[in-house]
Amino acid sequence: MIPPTVAAPPRFTVSRRRLRLLGLTADDGIRWFFGGNALIAVIVLTLITLFLFREGAGFFGQNRSNLEIYRRAGLEYVDFIRAQTDDHTALTRYLSDLRVRWMTWLLEQERHSLEEANARLEDFDRFADRFAGAVDPLRELMSGLADHASGIKAKYQLTQDRRVEQAQLAAAGRTAEAAGIEISAIDFERELEPLRESLPTYRQLSRDLAGELTALLAEAPAPPTPALRQRMDRFAELTREYVAGFPAVEHRLETWDSAQPVPAHRAFTSFLFGRQWLTASSWQDWYGIVPLFVGSLLVAALALLLAVPLGVGAAIYVSQLASSREQRLIKPCIEFISAIPSVVLGFFGIVILGETLRQLSQVSWLSWLPGFPYSERLNILTAGSLLALVAVPTIFTLAEDALNNVPRGFKEASLALGASQLQTVLKIIVPASLSGIVSAVLLGFGRVIGETMIVLLCAGNRIEIPDFTRGVAVVTEPVHTMTGIIAQEMGEVVRDSIHYRALFMVGLVLFLLALVINYAAQKIMRRYRLSTG
Amino acid sequence: MKPEPSTFHSRPDGRRRIERATTWIFRAATYLVLLAGGAVLLTIAVKGSRTLFQSEAPFINWSFLTEAPESLYIFEWEGRTLEMGDREFRAFKERNPAAANVEAESYVYSAGGIFPAIAGTLLLVLGSMTIALAVGVSAAVYLNEYARDGRGIRFIRLAILNLAGVPSIVFGLFGFGLFVIFLGWNVSLLAGWFTLAFMVLPVVITASEEALKAVPLGFREGSLALGATKWQTIRRNVLPYALPGILTSSVLGIARVAGETAPIMFTAAYVVRDQLPWQVERLGDFFFQGVMALPYHIYVVSSKIPQNAHTERVQYGTALVFLLLVATIAGTSILLRQHLRKRHSW
Repeated sequence: MIPPTVAAPPRFTVSRRRLRLLGLTADDGIRWFFGGNALIAVIVLTLITLFLFREGAGFFGQNRSNLEIYRRAGLEYVDFIRAQTDDHTALTRYLSDLRVRWMTWLLEQERHSLEEANARLEDFDRFADRFAGAVDPLRELMSGLADHASGIKAKYQLTQDRRVEQAQLAAAGRTAEAAGIEISAIDFERELEPLRESLPTYRQLSRDLAGELTALLAEAPAPPTPALRQRMDRFAELTREYVAGFPAVEHRLETWDSAQPVPAHRAFTSFLFGRQWLTASSWQDWYGIVPLFVGSLLVAALALLLAVPLGVGAAIYVSQLASSREQRLIKPCIEFISAIPSVVLGFFGIVILGETLRQLSQVSWLSWLPGFPYSERLNILTAGSLLALVAVPTIFTLAEDALNNVPRGFKEASLALGASQLQTVLKIIVPASLSGIVSAVLLGFGRVIGETMIVLLCAGNRIEIPDFTRGVAVVTEPVHTMTGIIAQEMGEVVRDSIHYRALFMVGLVLFLLALVINYAAQKIMRRYRLSTG
Repeated sequence: MKPEPSTFHSRPDGRRRIERATTWIFRAATYLVLLAGGAVLLTIAVKGSRTLFQSEAPFINWSFLTEAPESLYIFEWEGRTLEMGDREFRAFKERNPAAANVEAESYVYSAGGIFPAIAGTLLLVLGSMTIALAVGVSAAVYLNEYARDGRGIRFIRLAILNLAGVPSIVFGLFGFGLFVIFLGWNVSLLAGWFTLAFMVLPVVITASEEALKAVPLGFREGSLALGATKWQTIRRNVLPYALPGILTSSVLGIARVAGETAPIMFTAAYVVRDQLPWQVERLGDFFFQGVMALPYHIYVVSSKIPQNAHTERVQYGTALVFLLLVATIAGTSILLRQHLRKRHSW
């Protein structure tokens, strides 16, 4: 029997043992390292969400106490009356607008001299003065109450500050000093007494005002032309509506209860649907995102209105109609436009485009255009035109990709059936790549709405909802935007203040909006892609 | 014999005319875009060159490129209007004691140069691109070479896509919240680097992946068949060939990093800073200092000082230098790509 021999190991096997660390070979380690880097995108996205929430989440609590003190210190009460006097101011503005029109008519149609025209308007002026003066007693009452309410609020804030100081001292272990700080609780009910006691005075004044306005309307001067008469009638109607609203205000004042708690959801809704963004005000701060949101949307809409035809048109031309030499020339040029930093475009808008557009608007033969002429150099139009230049390369590149991805067979089949080149492009290729084009436009929209520097420099930065009653002319108004407000105010706010947190909330809204746009673009791309199998 | 009429009619003329007109509309749209872009660039180039170039010997206005910004003083002196920078004005007053109380108009940042801003921008680009390339290329290697399609990978890809759509100002807020406040780095180079790096990460990853995909599969298979490990294959046979592509596509990223203002506004940029970035006592301070940056400087000089003949110089000059810088960085990368392409071609 032959004893079993130990087989010599075959010469080609790897004899070196692999080094293992924690059970991993070097190759595994490398693999994990790369995998870890790939995960960073996910981590960053999570961190962004986390930190926006972390810094922004406190906003709702702070906003609620902001609204609470607004009610408890009686500011809300005063604002009811203020709204009434403000409406009256709007009516007087209507009157002065009417006077301007009347004046123009006198000067231009009737060829009166300025003095004559003024003399002709004497009656009207007397009427307007009396109308404007009628509200004075009520306004006086309101401003007295406003001072009082502000005082209560200031007092409350003082005690809050002291409380914070006390807590800080106690935390630092200086209990004796902490105990030494006097904090007097505010008895809101007692403090608000003067407000409540003013109610009968208010009733009297309000009734007087209603009576006077109605009486005044009866002796309103009659304008000479039908158009002006129509305005006067409209004015009378508005005034009657205004007076009819008085009992409602009175009712609101009567039933107002300072102790009624502000519901938690108000902190949320007053942010999301609030029509005022007012900060560092001596009266009351409001953090409503609507004016900013509307501003962002208007600027982006105008930009897309300009960029979509240009971007998609250029993409169709370059990918389908242009000669290959033209293609080689145009594509890098458009890509180069996309590399122009946005702050440079913004600078261009401030120094050149804004002024050029304004002067263009004052050219007389262009005055038929809505909104022309205008005087604000920086407005939606300026910002939107520049943003279009930002959006065009994005839309162009993606749309061109989509057009190029249409299978050759489509084009060949169409041409073989006798369709002309343009018919092929417009009826076969563009519909086939429509999903790609739509998602290109969406991504362009995302790019535009997230753009900061151009709108910060060129949109005019007026925090107000623009006057939509002007129709298309709304584009000549200045606005402020979500991105712009963050860039402008973030550097100046106190950390952890409500304003600071509100800016983070705006950032969160922007972030979510960007995610939604992205998601929609991808969804459209996948869902409606033509099957080319 | 009369020739038989062709059964194929040529297209009616009217329709052809419409067709040609439509083509012209598309062409007009294309050239309008180019025209608009060209107008912007040309205006800045023409007006900025008055600052940047001069008609005398060195032809380039070096003091604008090498000095720090100063305030500009304009005053009447002995019947002439003089314009002087801050230091010059002070020296002038010492020489002429009578000028001590002269009334001068002053504009901030409108005299001197923009050197600290150039240096700051270069530092920001260098640091953030290093981080972004290191992370981005690694991520792309994993996604293209190692990963098998699965739920996890799809999730990562989705995250990358979404990250690309996040507005730059949100990155700024995020960098402010995480680096400046939470990690306590304050307004610093480091915070700016990371903020910008995360912002361009999607661009770099996508670009690198494209470049890796372009390397033929045979290169990998050949290497693996010869017994090389996965890592050896990637290092020797994939990355060198993908490098030109990676560099080219990161040009896009560089342009974006250099050009964005919003992310560095609250994370890295100072309105003005006297020291240059390398004038620090300890090495550690280098990373935790804020810097001036060109895009932010443009924002400051175009929004915080009035526009007139005196301030125009620095405004247009800065914009032109900035554009040239971006173009130079892009150009260098393109040259580099051509160089590398010559070495590795298949």
